[in-house]
Amino acid sequence: MAKQEIIAMILAGGQGSRLGVLTELVAKPAVPFGSRYRIIDFPLSNCTNSGIEAVGVLTQYQPLELNSYIGNGHSWDLDRNNGGTYILPPYLSQVGNEWYKGTANAIYQNIPFIDSYEPKYVLILSGDHIYKMDYLKMVELHIQNEAEATIAVIEVPWEEASRFGIMNTDETGRIVEFEEKPAVPKSNLASMGIYCFSWDVLREALIKDEANPNSRNDFGANVIPGMIEAGYAVYTYAFDGYWKDVGTISSLWESNMDLLTDPSLINLRDLSWSIYSKNPQRPSHYFGPDSNVDNIAITDGSEIFGECHSTIVSYNVVVEEGAVITDSILMPGSYIEAGAVLTRCIVGMDTRVERNVRSTPDEADGLDLFVNDKLCKDGITVFAPNLVIKEGTKIVGNSMIGAEHARKYPQYVREVPHYSRMEVSL
Amino acid sequence: MITDAMGLILADNRRIQLGALTRPRAIAAMPFAGRFRIIDFTLSNMVNSGIKRVGVVALTKYKSLMDHMGTGAPWDLDRMRQGLYMIPPYINPITREPDRTDAQSVIDYVETGDQKYVVISSCDFVTNTSYKQLINAHVESRADMTVLYHKDGPIEEPPSMVIELDESGYVRDFMVDYPNPTSQKNAVGLIIISRDLLLQLLTEMMARGIADFSIVAILQNYRRFRIHAIELEEPLLRIHSVASYFDASMKVLDSDIRHMLFSVDRPIYTKAKNRAPCIVAPGSGVVKNVLASDGCAIMGHVENSILFRGCVIGRGAHVTNSVLFQDVQISDGVVLDHVIIDKNSVVKMDGRLLGQPGFPIVIEKNAIV
Repeated sequence: MAKQEIIAMILAGGQGSRLGVLTELVAKPAVPFGSRYRIIDFPLSNCTNSGIEAVGVLTQYQPLELNSYIGNGHSWDLDRNNGGTYILPPYLSQVGNEWYKGTANAIYQNIPFIDSYEPKYVLILSGDHIYKMDYLKMVELHIQNEAEATIAVIEVPWEEASRFGIMNTDETGRIVEFEEKPAVPKSNLASMGIYCFSWDVLREALIKDEANPNSRNDFGANVIPGMIEAGYAVYTYAFDGYWKDVGTISSLWESNMDLLTDPSLINLRDLSWSIYSKNPQRPSHYFGPDSNVDNIAITDGSEIFGECHSTIVSYNVVVEEGAVITDSILMPGSYIEAGAVLTRCIVGMDTRVERNVRSTPDEADGLDLFVNDKLCKDGITVFAPNLVIKEGTKIVGNSMIGAEHARKYPQYVREVPHYSRMEVSL
Repeated sequence: MITDAMGLILADNRRIQLGALTRPRAIAAMPFAGRFRIIDFTLSNMVNSGIKRVGVVALTKYKSLMDHMGTGAPWDLDRMRQGLYMIPPYINPITREPDRTDAQSVIDYVETGDQKYVVISSCDFVTNTSYKQLINAHVESRADMTVLYHKDGPIEEPPSMVIELDESGYVRDFMVDYPNPTSQKNAVGLIIISRDLLLQLLTEMMARGIADFSIVAILQNYRRFRIHAIELEEPLLRIHSVASYFDASMKVLDSDIRHMLFSVDRPIYTKAKNRAPCIVAPGSGVVKNVLASDGCAIMGHVENSILFRGCVIGRGAHVTNSVLFQDVQISDGVVLDHVIIDKNSVVKMDGRLLGQPGFPIVIEKNAIV
């Protein structure tokens, strides 16, 4: 294979368990975001816009939706003769490969893939962050510093610093110490989970890490602290743009709302750094004769006949006349019938909310059967994909309604069959 | 079943001019319904009917058409075998003039295809229909050709192609732009013909020095050949003039027509632009009965209108009964009614453009008002 100087590896195998029912059937990077995107569109588009043409996407958990979404990479201009996108699932071999045990092991198992391009630099990216970054700038700094590893960092508020992996650096930006969630942080530079390595150095480090039976084979926990300790040249790359890890229901909701409250934070209208996505092939969206909308984002194939305020409307969504949606996220294909009132709701793909359903944070007489305080906060309620919420159901905030509820409470929830769900009766 | 037909799209029609709107582009490349061009419907109908080889005959101003079509990937026509073929005119090597009687490129395209039938389509109408049944009906009828018609006559605007049928459904009479038609049946620019017969007609036309290879020229052979006619049942929007373009656009606001035009089973494909989602800003005006597209930013009042991708409607602007093409910017306080504004144009602060029903004002491409 022809050489590629830089190759990117996107870690897209995580379950994203804190997103609960939203990732029951799809991997986190395939979760819809910001009206017309999936989360993985951001790292993929960043690669294309940075001029990186060989991209490996490491999948493991529920890969069907993600695989079919990425396809041959055409939507991101990543269907290249030399390079392009490669979906890299774990595989069996005579030497006994296995499931990806950790982020570092996932890359370790794909050493032959990376070797085939003979790259100088390998970018390790995570498939579940919302940000726009020119990776070339990071690689340039890496070269300038004569670094062996460069870690993208972002300044976080000091009071939150103890929630992150914190990098303590000297005046040249070289990392002298890495502390995972320190109680008393010495710095507020948090790792973004975006790394640039010189491939020969990383290759060696991965082989060493794999041989260590006590390692969890994780970049953040093992490989990077190990390299810093061993005295490798590990530098930071300071990023000051918009960056959000959308790992929880609250952060997913907030990050979507950021597009409405301050569209300039992550300027999606910047044509010089477009975020690409798979085209849903639907007509333009339609606002009906009695629609009432303000502060919304909306895209192809959707039709609004009712009211939408401060809401993200994805593609192929219908909001019937008399429905009132506020502070919510309507994911692709969701259908809201007349008279439904939703506030602070995330409605999963292809879920139908029937007439006069009410789901608001302080819904009087609302059912509390579905409350899930562990995953849902701030009054946000989540409806799984492929459900029907039955007519007139009233729900309180912080609820999370999934397929299990369709079996337990058929009077309130029904499930629509979905190809990703395998039903096996023993 | 596999469709044994190739497509041949006639991107120009010299009898149809839409003033400033067709000055920079062929009729096939006319933007339509927010994010499409007319040819998207023709191409998608063909592709959705199983046609895998499509030639596009473009005679004039085909740059914007070629930009749009690229390799044919949006329609799945980027194929190793078959796929999309652009057929621009040949220049006479001696006179350096375009040779309008030279149909050799069309003949070559038709001849090298191994399909038995050819579906010929003009680009002066928009519909969503499957040609599969039509092709089957054509094969079964053993007619020489089959033409599609719609009972939407009498058509006031030329060009009209009135047909009269005999009792078994064959064309008995065919009249172009006849002022007192006796039939409600108007031919639609869609013909199914065998490859061999088309080659014969093309070769004859070239031999006789006839320059006009068009739907009319083919149908004028109705006395020589048995032409079967089949009625189109789906909604049909004809685009013959600025007024009918405007009317057709407004009809897409009707949800029933829109849902039939954009059926889920037969998607209409177009080139992706990767614009950001459309934003309706906080405190915007009323947005009612509007078809809007990605990349739009709506801060003003918009009613009964169509916004193509990337349109910006400023604060306090008041846009009614208008069609705004891609990247049109309407500044704060502007008032528009019955206006069609072509790509990239800007209407500056507090401008007022008021057309009349039936007589929309047309603002050309890249204009600054």
